[in-house]
Amino acid sequence: MPSIQALSSTPLDIPHTVPDHALLPFLRSQSQNTLTRLYQRPSSCLSILRLLGPLQRQLIMNLLWLESAIPVSTMAAWVVPDGKKLYNEALSAVVGLHIIQNSTVKLALNPTFKSSLRQAITGGGTTSSFGVPAEKDEKRQPVGIDTLDAYALERWETILHYMVSSGQGQLPTKPSQGVLFLLQRSGLMQTTHGSALQITSAGFQFLLHSPHDQLWSLLLQYLHMAEERQMDLVEVLSFLFMLSTMELGREYSADSLSETQKAMLEDLRDYGLIWQRKGSSKCFSPTRLATTLTCLSPPLPTSSTATSVTTSGTEVSLSSTAGPQGFIILETNYRVYAYTNNPLQTAVLNLFITMKYRFPNLVVGMLTRESVRKALSNGITADQIISYLVAHAHPQMRKNNPLLPVTVQDQIRLWELERNRLKSAEGFLYKDFASQADYDYVLAYAKQLGVVLWENTTKRSFFGTLEGHANIRGFIERRSGAS
Amino acid sequence: MRAIKGVLLTCDSAVKQILLSMNEKDPFIIEDLDDYHLVIKADEEYRVRKVLEAELEKNTYSLEAS
Repeated sequence: MPSIQALSSTPLDIPHTVPDHALLPFLRSQSQNTLTRLYQRPSSCLSILRLLGPLQRQLIMNLLWLESAIPVSTMAAWVVPDGKKLYNEALSAVVGLHIIQNSTVKLALNPTFKSSLRQAITGGGTTSSFGVPAEKDEKRQPVGIDTLDAYALERWETILHYMVSSGQGQLPTKPSQGVLFLLQRSGLMQTTHGSALQITSAGFQFLLHSPHDQLWSLLLQYLHMAEERQMDLVEVLSFLFMLSTMELGREYSADSLSETQKAMLEDLRDYGLIWQRKGSSKCFSPTRLATTLTCLSPPLPTSSTATSVTTSGTEVSLSSTAGPQGFIILETNYRVYAYTNNPLQTAVLNLFITMKYRFPNLVVGMLTRESVRKALSNGITADQIISYLVAHAHPQMRKNNPLLPVTVQDQIRLWELERNRLKSAEGFLYKDFASQADYDYVLAYAKQLGVVLWENTTKRSFFGTLEGHANIRGFIERRSGAS
Repeated sequence: MRAIKGVLLTCDSAVKQILLSMNEKDPFIIEDLDDYHLVIKADEEYRVRKVLEAELEKNTYSLEAS
């Protein structure tokens, strides 16, 4: 029987492991008023729909074409008892976004959202929320997708490369002031004693995330900053959503944008989301970074093409041996072969690998105790190293099951554990109680506060945290004063 | 009743033995609680961690060094 229970519980557990998109909690924290204004734009509605989970999307699609509200019980009748929990979670998630109106009796979509999403699907309307394509200019060649990709990649890798090399005292190309400020505000980099920017442990962790996650965590920070800069959040968000629904390789007119959005053009150009012919240009083209904001396709050209874009064409044939995704081979003897000539990827690997040899298309290194400990002391966790290696494993590695050699995985985890042999906590040791009753009484109080870290009845002493001390002292003083 | 300010260290018994022998050279332990817990002077924690790490490092063999 246990096996059957385990089986039946798995399908239910899977959706919990799929986390919400990073943007959704931010949207949820906004007022209903803000969100309703955002929902006036069809492109925003479509983008948000794409960010939601499958079940949430289905709920919305079910309600989309209904003219009137339906009773809650009608919708609930569709749900099998097993799925009740999932259904409730999905429902409360969309209610939290004010997409479905909160009611205990009837279910209906937010009318603004409903009409906008209908418009997004059926077309029509003149809101120009999907952007206005620029007039074709006969004199100039339209910008190619290759140019856009190269530009986006160059911008993005400049940012990452700047971060990765800051810890090693190198001086790579600096991103613009706006980007530097953003990195500092998001806590990914910091200055110590007025020196140059240094990468933080959060920054190291950031480097190992996928480009999509990296992009969104920077944009989220941008959104938080937009609030402080008194920019209209609805304008900012809807512009991001507009970009995400645009077509790659097409030029759009900047004339129809609001003032806030025009100001954003410059910021987003620095991040590599937008390409413009000139700073003063009336047109802009979204890059792949922007058009994939709300979908699952990779936001950057994949690594094999990436290397061919950043370097001269002669090396294309060398790097194309690597698959579309991965380039790392890890052997049971801790050796790492990375088929790449991309300086950024090499620099990221250098965070936790001791480099041995370098060839035009291949870097050979080793996972050693020292190199992993260096990474750990930078704040990178063993799990992050392992998941980075998994995510970038060479197609050849994917034939292995498990993907990474177990010995190496275990050793990385052991090296992490090794660092935590000593745990410490500051606080106070309470001892020499006059009587057992006294001890029990004070200990019971301290336990109630939840500040006891260690106790021993025979020794009649216990250790409490620093935070609890003021309370415990007050308690003892009140008691001795009373008696 | 007395309250003594300090840092509670939680460790395995091997580390604790090393700490005890370190303490003989340069005392920093306030109270030896049990096999896994010690209370030490708060301002000594950084030094103790340093010395302990150096001590543990002596017992590791590294392929790189060879």
